[in-house]
Amino acid sequence: MAKRLTVFALALILWAGYFYAIDRAIMHGQGLPVGADLMPPA
Amino acid sequence: MRRGPLVVLLLALAAAFLLLPDLAFAGEPAPVPSRADYPTVGGMTGRPVVWALAQMHLFLAAFVLAVPMFVLVIELTGVLSEDARYDSMAREFMRISMAAYALTALVGGGLTLALFVFYPVVMDYLLRVFDGQVLVYALLFGLESVFLYLYYYSWDALRFGNRKWFHLSLGLVLNAVGSTLMFVANAWVTFMMAPSGVDSTGAVTGSIWQIMRGPLWNPLNLHRFLANIAYGGAIVGAYAAYRFLSARTAEERAHYDWMGYTSNLIAVIGFLPLPFAGYWLMAEIYAYSQQMGITAMGGILAWLFIIQAVLIGSILLAANYYLWCGLGRTEGGRRYTPFVPFIALVLVGGFLVWVTPHTLILTPEEVRMLGGTRHKVLGPLGIMPAKNTAVNLMLLATFVSFQLFRRAGRIATVRWAWAGNAVIVALYAVAVANIVGAGLYGYVTPTVYKVGSSVPQVATTLSVIVFSLLIDGAMNRGAVRREVHWGRMAVRSQYALFVLPVAFTWMMGLMGYIRSSVRTNWHVYTIMKDASPDAYIPTIGDAGNAITLVTVGFMAVIIFVFWLTQLGSIKQPAPSGLAE
Repeated sequence: MAKRLTVFALALILWAGYFYAIDRAIMHGQGLPVGADLMPPA
Repeated sequence: MRRGPLVVLLLALAAAFLLLPDLAFAGEPAPVPSRADYPTVGGMTGRPVVWALAQMHLFLAAFVLAVPMFVLVIELTGVLSEDARYDSMAREFMRISMAAYALTALVGGGLTLALFVFYPVVMDYLLRVFDGQVLVYALLFGLESVFLYLYYYSWDALRFGNRKWFHLSLGLVLNAVGSTLMFVANAWVTFMMAPSGVDSTGAVTGSIWQIMRGPLWNPLNLHRFLANIAYGGAIVGAYAAYRFLSARTAEERAHYDWMGYTSNLIAVIGFLPLPFAGYWLMAEIYAYSQQMGITAMGGILAWLFIIQAVLIGSILLAANYYLWCGLGRTEGGRRYTPFVPFIALVLVGGFLVWVTPHTLILTPEEVRMLGGTRHKVLGPLGIMPAKNTAVNLMLLATFVSFQLFRRAGRIATVRWAWAGNAVIVALYAVAVANIVGAGLYGYVTPTVYKVGSSVPQVATTLSVIVFSLLIDGAMNRGAVRREVHWGRMAVRSQYALFVLPVAFTWMMGLMGYIRSSVRTNWHVYTIMKDASPDAYIPTIGDAGNAITLVTVGFMAVIIFVFWLTQLGSIKQPAPSGLAE
């Protein structure tokens, strides 16, 4: 069970990293900066 | 004789035909029609006639163009797996399509005639713009017929070895010709919506390629290509359900159950990426003309998108319900049934969010009671970030149903199967969080971010589908296959297969109407005004009635096609005393 949970936790981190990277890349690709400027000036 | 120079000359002529502007009419503006240019026949104006015929032609054409596409894949699967059942199923699919082909041509001919009778000036202009390209269309139509008949009638003559590969190549050419035919016709439609290759007066300034390749051409090509596959799958699924319900033997039931399952799978595969293709088309419409985009999604036509949501919700619920019923076909499927209520919850929840309108049509009294035109709690669910989130979660839920069904028939034997499962569960968990997070992000950022953050949502859904299939594929390498009891299916599940084509047909009529209506009172947007008595957008009720009428008409046609197909497989027994 512990082994399963460890793999699950590692996979969560891995996928979170993957989605964070593609989210940023896609938003940047559209010319939309992301990150600290969550609410950029209109 | 050396053929090189001749080939070069022919290529140069083809390039000139495609690339050079049509000099004969260059500089001649589009005509300005008057009310007298729109004849009536028996007191009837052109719009209802052309509307009904164009819609009916599109339904039939979408079906007959789609079937050979997945038939080719099924036939190839049969060759690679050396399982003759695929081959017989592929041929049966083609038989349904063949019965519909002549009707498609017949309605297409009627539509052409109606267009020339009711809209002579418009057709004169369009023929002038597209010029020789209409002959290319006629040539392609001829080739489509030739290859369709060759492909179907040579099935038994080209069954094995190299001959089978030759038969597959015939199918490939048939699909190439069919797709090109559709792309050419799409160019006429998108030219009317977003003209290119002409100046502001409508005078031809570009080559036929520039005229065809308008801003909406490729989005429409992709959207129709995917929609056709989903639609074709849905219709043959209804045929399989019809045969399943009328089957007299267990063997027949098993065959048509398998056919129904395959059809549903085709419909779902075509349908999953469809909202994204539709999104691209709408984004391009907005990019081309914001006014046109707002007419579609923010004006009178916006309410039709609510009806669209109802229909898409029905399609997803029906397709999922069929998959859930299918879990009973294997002994291993039953262990997944506890997940079904949760999947259903996501589907129904997403469906409810999707049908929530942004603003309501209210009486002054109701506005006063509500404190505005928007509901305080539900109002925020009416905007796109909520709807994008809902649709992506619904698609993920549908994919889960499909994945569970797939797993029900296999027992993974690899040692790391437990780890694979953990990675897939983690993938879903993070993906859902990312989709919901991107949706919320749309609420706290300006509009441009709202639209922009929907793209990562799409990428997330597609990522889940791709990675899940890859991990599942690796896990199931060398898996033990469970016995599938084809035919062990509840009768009620077959009615889900009837829901799909009806909802698809209705939705295609509805969305086609929106696509055409965004031109408002223009035949060719911003270039040629409509001066007919029908130059207005009908009320939602009138449009709904017209679309429903054509949908019912098409259902009658398709029942006739099913009957014809079944008739072809019936053989009258010889009377007593006569040899068979």
